[in-house]
Amino acid sequence: MTLIELNNITKRYMSGNQSVTAIAGLDLAVRTGEFVVLAGPSGSGKTSVLNLIGGLDRPSSGTMTVAGCQTDMATDRELADFRLNMVGFIFQSYNLIPVLTAAENAEFVLQLQGIPAPIRHARVTELFAELGMEGLQNRRPGDLSGGQQQRVAIIRAIASEPALVLADEATANLDSKSSTDLLEMMRYLNETKGTTFVFSSHDPLVIEQARRVVTLHDGRMVSDTGSRA
Amino acid sequence: MESLKLAWRNLFRHRMRTCITVLGVSLSLALVQTYHNFTAGVYAYMVDCGVKAGSGHIAVYRPQYLADRNPDLAFAPAPEDEDIARIPGVRAVLPRFYLPALAQSSRENRNIQLVGADVPREAGLNPYLRKLPREVLERPMRKRDAFVGAGLARELGLQQGSRFVITVQNGHGELVSELFHLRGIIESGIRDVDTSLVMAMREQVSAMAGAGNATHELAIILDNADMAASVFPAVRQRLLSSPEGLEAVSWEQAMPNLYNAIRWDYVSVKFLSFIVLAIVTIGVVNTLLMSVMERMREFGLTLALGASPGRVRLLVMTEGLLMGVVSMLAGSCIGSLATAYLVHAGFDLRPFIPENLEFGGVLFSALLYAKWDIPWMMEVAAYILLLCLGASLYPGIRASRAMPVETLRHI
Ligand SMILES: Nc1ncnc2c1ncn2[C@@H]1O[C@H](COP(=O)(O)OP(=O)(O)OP(=O)(O)O)[C@@H](O)[C@H]1O
Ligand SMILES: [Mg+2]
Repeated sequence: MTLIELNNITKRYMSGNQSVTAIAGLDLAVRTGEFVVLAGPSGSGKTSVLNLIGGLDRPSSGTMTVAGCQTDMATDRELADFRLNMVGFIFQSYNLIPVLTAAENAEFVLQLQGIPAPIRHARVTELFAELGMEGLQNRRPGDLSGGQQQRVAIIRAIASEPALVLADEATANLDSKSSTDLLEMMRYLNETKGTTFVFSSHDPLVIEQARRVVTLHDGRMVSDTGSRA
Repeated sequence: MESLKLAWRNLFRHRMRTCITVLGVSLSLALVQTYHNFTAGVYAYMVDCGVKAGSGHIAVYRPQYLADRNPDLAFAPAPEDEDIARIPGVRAVLPRFYLPALAQSSRENRNIQLVGADVPREAGLNPYLRKLPREVLERPMRKRDAFVGAGLARELGLQQGSRFVITVQNGHGELVSELFHLRGIIESGIRDVDTSLVMAMREQVSAMAGAGNATHELAIILDNADMAASVFPAVRQRLLSSPEGLEAVSWEQAMPNLYNAIRWDYVSVKFLSFIVLAIVTIGVVNTLLMSVMERMREFGLTLALGASPGRVRLLVMTEGLLMGVVSMLAGSCIGSLATAYLVHAGFDLRPFIPENLEFGGVLFSALLYAKWDIPWMMEVAAYILLLCLGASLYPGIRASRAMPVETLRHI
């Protein structure tokens, strides 16, 4: 089943009074359960693509459908609902709200969805245990290592069982051991729960792990290893 | 509940900044409350002095008397006066007769304001008589005893026990003179009073005026000024049957100078309070805006995760509300303590100004006390809460407009 479909998408930003083309006519289709990495040099448009897929932004032209939502046409409100219910996000850094504990951060999306506290607690506690994070629930983000923070972000992203999880350079600030761990965790979730992952990286170590690699350059797709799922 | 917890923790992120702002708001609230209570106490005291020296909380006159002060507009004290004295809340009914006159001593003569009063009844109430030695007041009054303003006595060269002549024009246009004894000297501190007042027995003065046993004014003194609302209609009721068509007048109408002076003073108090509260609002806006600007990324993240802008706004406004609640409680406590102190110990202005102050034609002591006005304190406290909430509106809107794509870029 096609989960993500981008048709001739372009994205232009205004930088000063100059127009910058970040994505130039991109076509991309991703099926449910895929594990895709967007590769490419800095400025190639990886973040822009993820922002569009995640409904954080709208394309300048082209049409796109993600998890049944035609996000290029959606209103702000619809996009917010779409993000809340369909997408899990993991950002490069500054993922967590500093005043909330690890568990509260992990529950944050569930809380926004209005899931009752006991169910939230149960689900997050289970995930903490599953991902080897027991005992860290009550720590504040400031008292966690970078790798631990990213794991909390993963728990938050998958706790609501979204249709897809987007991770933009989620391992960029981590040492190689932590990046490998994090990646294994995503692989594990992809395999056991069937969660679709789309993430960006320019780390060869990470790219190597992916089943499908889409390489961008100057906002265009230069290669796609194709779906091997 | 969740946003309350979150708001509380966010306020504690910059403990010092939050505390300073809350302290500022609390102290401002306390200041406004205390200042109001103090001025309320001072006004009540001024009204009290004013009405006792002047025409009472409620005064009774013949129609037109207040406008013309025509001595012919007198009326005979009637049994209704005693009825009025029995209305609950009425402390005393003081009949008075006013007459312009001339005082002559062996040395000088002066125009005077002759007041005929029931001196024994006035003694405990009238501030002009209060400073007189007790033996002077307690000795039974003789028909021709008179109290004379200090300045006037000096100019006429009179001392305790001196004799002098008072001349008046009676109702038929004839001059009538009588000899009086100076029984006591009135030192009111008000120039007009000290240089022109002579107080004598009312029966004597009205008889000189050829009016028999008459009065121009019934000054009704109440137990406290707040009872005027209930006493006033009762007085009116009792005057309905009076043959002269007597009218009851509130002190505000009978003493417009004092009333207006208080009113204008109160405007300045309000204005000052308004400025204090406006500055407080700016302070709260500043603190919240600063804290919001520092957290734009966080708001961007929250919005990215799918929170609605309304929820982000709510979070910031909850922070404002919490600051308001804490400030309201702390400020009211401080304001209450300060008021309690000023109610009991008073505020002594005597080191800074002459012992007695004149305000709106009324003299009062410079040791001043506050008066509780709890409904008003609660009103200002509620106002502070609204201010804090209002001050968080704009910061809340700013926060809710964080652009996730922008705030999460370049980290
Ligand atoms: N908000 C923006 N305003 C102006 N230009 C932007 C904006 N966002 C991205 N761009 C530009 O668009 C192009 C693509 O940027 P994008 O962030 O998508 O690349 P990227 O592949 O994620 O790069 P990196 O590896 O450095 O994160 C770049 O030239 C960038 O400068
Ligand atoms: Mg990027």
